[in-house]
Amino acid sequence: MNTALVTSAVILLAVVVIEAQRGITVLLVNLPAQARLSFSTASVTFPDADPTSTPLVASVPVDLTISVRARVQTNSQVTLTVQSTDDLRSGVTVLPASLITWTVTGSGFTGGTLSRSAPQLVGRWTGSGVRVGAQNYRFENRWTHPVGIYSATLVYTLASP
Amino acid sequence: MRKTLWKVGLSTAAVVLLSSSAAYAQLATQNINATAVVAARGRITLTGAINFPDTDPFGNPTIDAAPLTVQALARVAPGASVSLTVQAGGNFVSGTDQIPIGNLSWSSAGAGYNATGTMSSATAQPVGNWTGPGANNGSQTYTLLNDWAYAPGNYSVTLTYTLTSP
Repeated sequence: MNTALVTSAVILLAVVVIEAQRGITVLLVNLPAQARLSFSTASVTFPDADPTSTPLVASVPVDLTISVRARVQTNSQVTLTVQSTDDLRSGVTVLPASLITWTVTGSGFTGGTLSRSAPQLVGRWTGSGVRVGAQNYRFENRWTHPVGIYSATLVYTLASP
Repeated sequence: MRKTLWKVGLSTAAVVLLSSSAAYAQLATQNINATAVVAARGRITLTGAINFPDTDPFGNPTIDAAPLTVQALARVAPGASVSLTVQAGGNFVSGTDQIPIGNLSWSSAGAGYNATGTMSSATAQPVGNWTGPGANNGSQTYTLLNDWAYAPGNYSVTLTYTLTSP
């Protein structure tokens, strides 16, 4: 008799559990487009060098590691560009921003020449994801450059349609 | 005819709308500072050798050496003066015999180069003067007075070129 009661209880419990599994849960997750851009350093420097022996001066640090995180619509393009706010300036002395060029490592990243008039492509990808690469900046070193400490601000922009 | 024109107008409007919807939206921006250090530097490059072959002084009172190519590279401040000078270490010497260094002169070609000059061991002689940074290319042709009074011998002297800027 006791055994029959226990059995009934077990069956009843199982039924209850099965009923619970039939419940419908709707999970609503809102994922807006988001992006984050980070760099291994906030500045790059081109040290002085002899233009004859070093016509192209590598930046210090050599590698500017770039981390691009983008959450966008499926198949949407994501582009990373860089533009100088101005030419290289040392007081009233000016050197063209185009003296700075770069090569890259990393999938989707591309080499280029700096410009103050138009953003230049650094990388292009499709869809969401994390992309990591490196830029290696170089400065064209000439005897005709007037002495000075030249600076410019490079603006990186991550965009998607 | 009018209907066809209207269709063209609609198609154009649709293209414009598609284009505007494909504009890129900025997701993130970041700035990096770039600095280039350009310090004062200079370099002199002399290409060629100055040799005066033996010749009869009667027919050749002077001897010309082959032109010496001179390149004076200077990276200086805008408007800064740059000067190139040459000075002999002494007279021409062959054992105990000497030829006065003042018997050596030159003519030059190239922007900023002095047209002529006479060598001295006492003071540096100007070869060229320029303003601001740049590559100053030219040539010098040395001439030696070929005098009957010279004792036979192989004479030599060291010439020192100096590039300066204030």
